[in-house]
Order: sequence, then structure tokens, then C-alpha cells
Amino acid sequence: MTSRRDFLTITGVAGAGLVLALRLEAKPRPGDAPASDFRPNAYLAIRPDGTALLTVPKSEMGQGVRTTLPLVLAEELDLDWSRVELAQAMPGPDFQHLGTGGSTSVSTTWTTLRTAGAAAREMLVAAAAQAWGVPMAQCRTEQGFVLGPNGQKAGYGELAEAAAKLPVPKAPRLKNPAEFRLLGRPTLRVDGPKIVVGKALFGLDTRRPGQRFAAVLRCPVVGGQPKAWDETKAKAVRGVKAVVKVPTGLAVIADGTWAAFKGREALAATVTWDEGLHQDFNSKDLETRMRAALDGPADVARKAGDAGAALKASARVIEAEYFFPFQAHATMEPMNATVQARADGAEMWLGTQAPNTSQERAAKAMGLKTEQVKVNVALLGGGFGRRSGTDFSTEAAQVAKAAGGGPIQVVWSREDDFRHDQFHPATLHRLKAGVDGQGRLAAWSHRIAGGAVLRSWLEGHKSPGQAETEANGAHDIPYDIPALEVAFAEVRVPVALGWWRAIEIVPNVFARECFLDEVAHALGKDPLQFRLDLLGRRGKVKVGRDEVDITRLRRVLELAAEKAGWGRKVPPGHGLGIACHAYDARTYLAEVAEVSVEKGDLRVHRVTAAVDCGIVLNPTGLEGQVEGGIAWGISALSSQITFEKGRTVQEGYDTFPVLRQPDMPPVDVHVVASAEAPSGMGEPPVPVCLPAVLNALFAATGKRVRRLPLTPGDFA
Amino acid sequence: MPAFQLTVNGRRRSVDVDADTPLLWVLRDTLGLTGTKFGCGQGICGSCTVHRDGKAVRSCQVPIKESAGSAILTIEGLSKDGSHPVQRAWIEEDVAQCGYCQPGMLMTAAALLAANAHPTDGQIDDAIGEHICRCGTYPRIRKAIHRAARGGAK
Repeated sequence: MTSRRDFLTITGVAGAGLVLALRLEAKPRPGDAPASDFRPNAYLAIRPDGTALLTVPKSEMGQGVRTTLPLVLAEELDLDWSRVELAQAMPGPDFQHLGTGGSTSVSTTWTTLRTAGAAAREMLVAAAAQAWGVPMAQCRTEQGFVLGPNGQKAGYGELAEAAAKLPVPKAPRLKNPAEFRLLGRPTLRVDGPKIVVGKALFGLDTRRPGQRFAAVLRCPVVGGQPKAWDETKAKAVRGVKAVVKVPTGLAVIADGTWAAFKGREALAATVTWDEGLHQDFNSKDLETRMRAALDGPADVARKAGDAGAALKASARVIEAEYFFPFQAHATMEPMNATVQARADGAEMWLGTQAPNTSQERAAKAMGLKTEQVKVNVALLGGGFGRRSGTDFSTEAAQVAKAAGGGPIQVVWSREDDFRHDQFHPATLHRLKAGVDGQGRLAAWSHRIAGGAVLRSWLEGHKSPGQAETEANGAHDIPYDIPALEVAFAEVRVPVALGWWRAIEIVPNVFARECFLDEVAHALGKDPLQFRLDLLGRRGKVKVGRDEVDITRLRRVLELAAEKAGWGRKVPPGHGLGIACHAYDARTYLAEVAEVSVEKGDLRVHRVTAAVDCGIVLNPTGLEGQVEGGIAWGISALSSQITFEKGRTVQEGYDTFPVLRQPDMPPVDVHVVASAEAPSGMGEPPVPVCLPAVLNALFAATGKRVRRLPLTPGDFA
Repeated sequence: MPAFQLTVNGRRRSVDVDADTPLLWVLRDTLGLTGTKFGCGQGICGSCTVHRDGKAVRSCQVPIKESAGSAILTIEGLSKDGSHPVQRAWIEEDVAQCGYCQPGMLMTAAALLAANAHPTDGQIDDAIGEHICRCGTYPRIRKAIHRAARGGAK
């Protein structure tokens, strides 16, 4: 083969601040694949037997990328979906910026993957046309075959070798969505059949020859270190092989997980900690600091007009304070990573949203060059942002390096997972609305105080974009308010912070949409009509660096309201609440919740969602994400992490409740048909759920909840 | 001399482990059956559910000494080829998202249907309410159990 190369680089800044670059590149390396395979770029190979191997450049954590992204390739390539196999992308020359987060998987790969598929298809058609001596334009493709004008038919496998010799087209023709055969129809999750027989492999299912298991005894106080310990009893536990010191604590290495846990327990009974600087850290004092920060300097995330002056000039000012607590990710699969240190490098197996960053940081921890570490990305037993962190993989690399020998799987217990999460930070919100003499909303101020996730991600550095990132969901408030100011006052916290499902948008939209509801009620306006009036009919409006299409937002609001029967008479004790958001100005969502209070508990009877996420790629996947996002949102009303004496109070699902089957309401999903480019669905359903439910609770009970988690006193 | 004898998925196994070792770790680490998942080790989330002598149990809470002589069924043994009605219904309803908690859910669903061929929503809530799915697949779990109860019909 010749050295054909075709670069196509797409760089976008994800909502989560991740920079993503994907490229299409034909760079066959010796030994990569049989020469008879057709491998026009890093995403696909067609074998002589006609099967296709598609490479998934995103991590699967339940959001469906291993189904949706290959579907995009298969669509443009006209593949037989039943003859597609998947490979998971690995960090390396072809994939230098793998990262999954911010609901950006679809929006950032859409054009790249379509182009990759379409280019390959054109090459296969060209190979067939040459062989048959007919013009390309007279050939078409169907289900893995090229069909000629005179009944000729050739499978992609037969054409693979000839196609591989042709130049890669730079600008292949992409299908018109009307021509789609796979996209837009319900497609079942590709990993479903393996999941239901227990053969789907998550990081924790990694089993390598000679593998050992490790549990790390870490100080429950962040930054604390073991001062003195006695290894005798730990080493007396059957199966325990060694105890090694690592930067995060003491690793107990054993021939099984249980022995590692038992050995660690024996070791814990002997350890004396130097608890370090943060042993007094607690949620109560932090809240006092957050409240003080609301009165201090803040970084402005968005400013329009002079909100201060407009508030002063207002005929009426409405003011409220909202609080959102620390949250844990609580993925079902606890953190884990398996690392093998070898003479010439290392290999790791793990579920991660950040394969390249994990590779770089593990290499650094082991004193290796990045390319000396091979990273195998397993399925993620939940990600939700937690597995964007590299703390657990770096630690596993440190354990493997300290212990030497064969592969070691570092397993976190559930208690470890809660104690040492990269928490979503608590935030305190002060909102002010100024109403003019005509009863119009003339001024809006939203000030947020709390920890900065972005700084934690950047390992302590403050990015110029910090305020905008932390105020996401607040600064892009879509309503037409003449004077507006949104600002973020950072409060430093000692614990590691991480993005959660739907990131900072959850607390910010919770505060924004609940407070807006308060204002509507204070002015005697219907909450739906109030929102529609404030949105106006402005078309596309610039909000910060994004452009929000007000027409799309109005449509989902109106659709959700119509389908939920907004304004109808509800049963006694019931209430309806509504909220909306344009998620990163890409996915438009509105939800209406119907709730009541039953036996002193909040009962969500139904959530009606209306979605505009552009072209729908897989309706089954979309509905699942809406259902799951709403489950996450309702769950978020009841959970919190608090700190006392530098430690988390919660360390299990008993004290950090997660929504269960009996409390899951029916969810109705209504989709706006759209020709816009497709956008992500993993996170957007979450943020609007909280205010929709709490606004409904207000409608049902007259009680306004401004502080989470809910407590029974909120609606007694 | 192997310490404990048990039958796992129809096969007699001998395991030489400490008596307090939870069945979960015997399955995962000693026998290599990783389909049974570790979720909390606290008996709260249900990810580790298997059948012991036909009943759904939390394998993280069952020491091996209490399982000696028992017949254990794990997700790998629920059917030979993924054809158990709950497995088929799970695929057809596209239940799983990340999939991690699903083996436990399936084992509970299979035990529920074995005891009650046509469970009501309330009975499904009671059984599945003992589990946690962080992805929120609950609406489809309910649909899938009803579908399995109908013999696969939608």
C-alpha cells in the first residue's frame, strides 16, 4: 500500500471543558491488519469475508455510544448491521485525545464518522465500477454490496483489496437524512446480548494470568497519611502477599479481593494517621464560608446592562437563596483498575472516560513514556463523570510499580468509593429579580458560591473560563431580561471535585428555574406563560459564546405543556410543575412533572418530557436516556454528601439513597422532528427534572423548597 | 484438601477458601464467574444476586460456609444460550444501559417469575425495589418482566 493520508481534524470544546480532537487518518502500520483488509481510516476495516470492524472512539457507560456511533458509520457505508463487529479505540497515534463527557459524543463525532463511512463507501463503489467498466454514478450500495447497472453484484469483502489501492476521497458525498436506513429507527443496544448472560466485561471483570488483587488503606481525611502501622496481622491473613506504601496510603496485595479487604481491615486496626491539614473540614463551616463569599468578590460569567442599578430602580425586588449539596457519583461498579508493570512498559485495563489522560498520568507515575503504557478501555459500570477522573488509575499504576511482578487489580470497596469520590461541589445561590412598575422582569442577578470543578480537573490551576464553566446553566439563562448579571465566587475546598451527570447545570438550573417559578407566582402569572413571554419570539440569540435558538426552546416548552395537559384540573393534592433548558445550546428540553405528597413523602406521578436534540439517531436509546436522566434527577432531590472532621458522613447506599423501582414514575417522551445536527442526550434530561418536580411540589402544597436534599419538613 | 463443596450452574465444585469468604468472591475470584457483580458488599444494592437452592440471595452477604452443599445458579447458568424468558425480554425491551447491575436484576426477575408467573406492578416493585440501578432503567425492567410473564409477547 502507498502512504495515502487523509487528515480531517475536528476540534471542539466540550461543555465539560474537555478538548476533543478526532482525526481520520490512513496510516497502515506493519502488522496492524492483514494486507487484504480494507482500512481507509482509523475507524473501520472491511475484511475479505465481508465483515466490518468498526472502532468506537468513545467510552460506553450506558449512554449508548457503542451502538449509536457505529450506526453512523454503518449508515454512510451501507453496511449490513448484523455483520458489524466493534473494537474499542485505544490511546495511540490514531487516537490522541480520547475522552467522553459533556454529552458531546454525538455532536463532536457526527461529521467525522459520516465522512469516514462515506469515503470508504465511495472507494468500494469506485473499485466495483472499475472492475465492471461502468461509471460510478450507475452503481449503488445496499447492505454490504455494490450493485451495478446490469445486475452486477459484489460484496464489500470481495472489493476490499481493490478499494484499498484507491485514493481516499477528501469530500465524499454524505447521505441526505431522508436516505437513512439505520439511523432514526429503533436499534437495540449492541452489548445487550452479552450483558444478559453475564459476559459483558467491565473493568472489574479483568482477569489476567497471574493476576493479584489489592485494596488500599487510605486516610479517611483527604491529604492524611499513615504515620505508623503494623503489617503482622495483615500478612497473617490467608492469601495476603504483601503490604506496600503508595502515595495514597498502604496497599494490601493478595491472591483474591476478599483477602485484600480482610488484610486491609487487619492493617487498619493498627494504623496511626497523620490526618494533615484538613481534619476540621466540615459542611457547616463551609456553608458559612459560602455565604460570606456571596457578599465578596466574584468572577462575572455574564453581564448585560447594569443589573445592580436596575435592581435599585425596581419597583419590587424578589430575593431567595438556594442550596445544592455535595453529591457522590455512586456508580454501581466501584472504582478499579488493573495494571501490569513490565520491563519495557506497562499495560492497563479499566473503565475510563479519559483514556489518554489516564495513560499520560499513569506513565508519569511509573516513570515511563506515555507511549510505553497500553490502555485497554473496558465497559464502564457507570461513569457519570466519575471515570473522567484519573485518581484511581494513577493509584493502581503506583501500586503495580511498588509491588512489581504480574498484573494487579486495585479494587475499591463501596465505602472507598463514597469516601474518596471526586465530589460534585455544594453551591449556594443568591438570586434577585427586579420587577419594574409595569410588572415586568427588568433585572436578574444570580450569584453562585462554591468549589470549582474545573480547577480540580486542571489539578489546582484556575482557568480563565472558570466562572463560565461553573455558572453553566445560569449564565446561559435564555430569557429576555434587560439587565442581568451572573457571577461565580469560588470557595476553595480541600476535597477533589469532579463533574457529575449534567455537571454544574444541575444545581444552576435547579436554582434558576425554581426561582423563576417563584417570580411567576409572586407576579400572579402562569409559570408556562411567564416563561414563553420572557423567551419572546427572538429566533436565535447569542448567549455567551453559544447561540440559543429560542424557537426550538419555545417548541419543547409548548409540546411538554400540551402533552402533560398543562392547565388541566388535577386531582386534589396534586400539582404540575414545568421547567426548560437549552443544554449547551444544543439539546432543548422541557419537562412537566405531576406530584403529590403521600404519607409525608413526595410522590412523582408522571414526568412528561419534550426533546429537540436535532436528528434522532436511535429513538430507543433516546427514550432510555430521558428515563434514566429523570431517575437521576429525582434521585438528586434526596441524596447528599456531608463532611465532618474531614470525613464523609455517608459511606454507603443506606445513607446516600438512590432512586429505586417503586419511586420511578412513568415517563412520557415526546420528540420534536428536527433536521438540525444531532446532539447528546446523556445529560440534558437531568437538570430540568429537579425544578419541574419542585415547582410541581409548590403547586401541590404551597411549599417552596430552596434547599436540597428534601426533608420531610419541606412538605409536612 | 478442598474445604467446601458446592454445585455451581450444575457443576460440582470444590473450593479451598476461608470459611468467612463471601460466596460473591468465591464466584468471581476463585471460580472466575465474573457475571455476578460486586456493587456494595453491604447487601443493599442487589448487584451480586444469585440463586441458592432456587431462592434469590445476596452473594456478598453469604459466607461460603453457609453455601456448602447448596446448588448455586449464577447469571452464566441461567440458560445455556441466553434463552431464558427474562434474558430474551431484557434484550427485546432494550433494558440495559451500562449493564452492570443487570445480572442481579435478571436473577431476581427469574426468581420472581418462578414463584409468581404473573406478578403485578406492585409485586415487581417489591422484588426489584431491593435493587439499585444508577442508570435508571426501571421503566423497562418492569416492561421486560411483564413481557417475560407473557411468554415474550409484547
